[in-house]
Amino acid sequence: MEAIAFYIFAILITGLFLVTVFSRNILYSMSSLAAGMVLISGLFFIIRADFLGAVQLVVYSGAIMALYAFGMMFFDATRDVKEKNTSKYLVFLLSGFSAVALVVIFSAPAIGKHIEVEPIAKGLGHLDNVHAIGAVLFTKYLIPFEVAAVMLLVAMIAGIVLASKRMDESLSEVYVGTDPETEKKEQK
Amino acid sequence: MSLDNLKNRNVGVQNYKMLDLGHTPETGWGKFKQVLKRSVKLELFVGLKVTMREMFKALFMGEMHTVKYPFEKLPISPRYRAIHEMKRLLESGHYRCIGCGLCEKICISNCIKMDTRYDENQRKEVSDYTINFGRCIFCGYCAEVCPELAIVHGGRYETASEQRASYSNFEDMLTPMDQLVNQKEYPGFGAPTPVADKNIKKTPLAY
Amino acid sequence: MDGYIIATVIKAILILAVISALAGFGTYIERKILAFMQRRLGPMHVGPFGVLQIAADGIKLFTKEDFIPSGANKIIFMVAPIITAATAFIALAAVPLLPEFTLFGVTVRPIVSDMNIGILFVIAMMGVGLYGPLLAGMAQENKWGIIGSARTAIQFLSYEVVTGLSLLAPIMMVGSLSLIDFNTYQAGGIAHWIVWTQPVAFVLFLISGFAETNRTPFDLLENEAEVISGYATEYSGMRWGMFFIGEYANMITIGFLASLVFLGGFNPLWIIPGGLAIILKVAFFFFLMLWVRAAWPHIRPDQLMWLCWKVLMPLAVINILITGLVMMA
Repeated sequence: MEAIAFYIFAILITGLFLVTVFSRNILYSMSSLAAGMVLISGLFFIIRADFLGAVQLVVYSGAIMALYAFGMMFFDATRDVKEKNTSKYLVFLLSGFSAVALVVIFSAPAIGKHIEVEPIAKGLGHLDNVHAIGAVLFTKYLIPFEVAAVMLLVAMIAGIVLASKRMDESLSEVYVGTDPETEKKEQK
Repeated sequence: MSLDNLKNRNVGVQNYKMLDLGHTPETGWGKFKQVLKRSVKLELFVGLKVTMREMFKALFMGEMHTVKYPFEKLPISPRYRAIHEMKRLLESGHYRCIGCGLCEKICISNCIKMDTRYDENQRKEVSDYTINFGRCIFCGYCAEVCPELAIVHGGRYETASEQRASYSNFEDMLTPMDQLVNQKEYPGFGAPTPVADKNIKKTPLAY
Repeated sequence: MDGYIIATVIKAILILAVISALAGFGTYIERKILAFMQRRLGPMHVGPFGVLQIAADGIKLFTKEDFIPSGANKIIFMVAPIITAATAFIALAAVPLLPEFTLFGVTVRPIVSDMNIGILFVIAMMGVGLYGPLLAGMAQENKWGIIGSARTAIQFLSYEVVTGLSLLAPIMMVGSLSLIDFNTYQAGGIAHWIVWTQPVAFVLFLISGFAETNRTPFDLLENEAEVISGYATEYSGMRWGMFFIGEYANMITIGFLASLVFLGGFNPLWIIPGGLAIILKVAFFFFLMLWVRAAWPHIRPDQLMWLCWKVLMPLAVINILITGLVMMA
């Protein structure tokens, strides 16, 4: 039963992500990305990791919503995007290399048997899903968790600094007065 | 709404009052104070209270504003110029029209057509009288020139029709005989004013 | 196992039928109440007090021609309304609608799926539901649609933070994400309601709930005065109706969430049995949404962002901090 569900989900997810990569339409590729992310949460639900599934839904629906906002600004969603590749081989090499590197990184420990993939929740069997995640996060993985939090904080502050240069002026005021330099440039 | 209320609308005599709305705060501190003041005074909930009050008034105190139009109609001003009516003499029941033809002559959109003939008593009789309401612009000249107050404007304002030309016959506009007791004198456009008697002056005989 | 599957299917179908009927009835209630608050009569002529207006509207929506405008992206245009309607009902799957009751000797639990992360799932599903308006607006070759979907994006990014953070404080108190645990936590009567200990969280959740369902102070997505109909500009017939059903189902879901998390859920209240109590609470929240729509003006998108990020989010964080300190002490 669960195997059937897994294969259905797996095929759907792979298909949707393929659409994401190969589609020339910005709307198709982003929608399939969003749908794939939602379906990944299905995989979490199959292995009874309800909390992670819901978090996957919350986080990625928000993240892709922001992606949509950018897509809306940069592309006309009803037209196909024409890509400009200066060198196809470079793109091919770079993407292929990074894909191989990712696969090697994730599969090397399992193949090499030097690090055993031990079940994290060992000894936490009496807790339910949410509590087990909390216990693991704040004991075994405390430092990575905190480092990630600090990184997010850094990113947030950087974003605010970048965006807030002219925060006190409203956008309509910024471009109303033409200062002499830009005027000269326009005349040229 | 009764007719008195309708007529007593005081058009043109409004007393506008300037509300003391205060000033929009400029500084951040001023804005913060304004937000705080408004939150403490619960101004948003005043809005909720007002709508709730209106709902209670509408439901339980009979202050619903809706007029169910085709079933009930608002009173219309007597001076409104809608579909014409032909009046009868109250004493004899004969129609008032004397067939003078003034209305036909003055009609600026040429929508009135009348034919007259002499009847057996050598009196003038209206043999044919039609108004084309497709052309009529309801200017009211016909009612104004009529010396006998025979053609007047009524209050029937639903004038939509399926065709461009929609003729109305004399008999259709004439007050039915059985409704004669209910026939009201026309107070509107072209009728003598209530002070008409006072305004009558002697014809100067100096020439 | 088979019995469990059959029971779940029956529950799902029942909830789908009842809630979509209620959503239809909600349009009637909304029109009636808005009319009364503006001293009008509302729908009057179809059936007694205009009740059958829903049927008339339904017939109209079903029999309308289902067309797709020439410039639109066909697939996305067709899928978008289904997303809104489907996610609204999927979110209801994790909500316990009524207390347990016994029918023909069988104990029935009126919840489709009692997962232990119920509240998170509901919030997540309602968040995904906003993909409907977003995709709908982008699939059209229409300025108003694009503006509508841009507003969807900023609205989602603004309120979602506040929803999560405002619910976090009650979650910390209860120590569980299951809505049934929330209910049992408040079993002791009115004094045990979370709204007394978390008034700030309650207000924040209500505000973001209004934003989540696109109700009036925040109905930026399809505000007619500004963006014609926003994302729904080119929609008609049943596809448009699905957006509507989704919106009303979301309103009901938010009503259930608010009453389960803050107002004691389906615990019996004095002499009122639990089932009736929660229906009354949800009805109150539904009425509140209509009431607010009649009373308050709506705000601009930049005001919404200002409100959510600069006022509500700091408030929510401070609230969580204080809750944490009190719980530690």
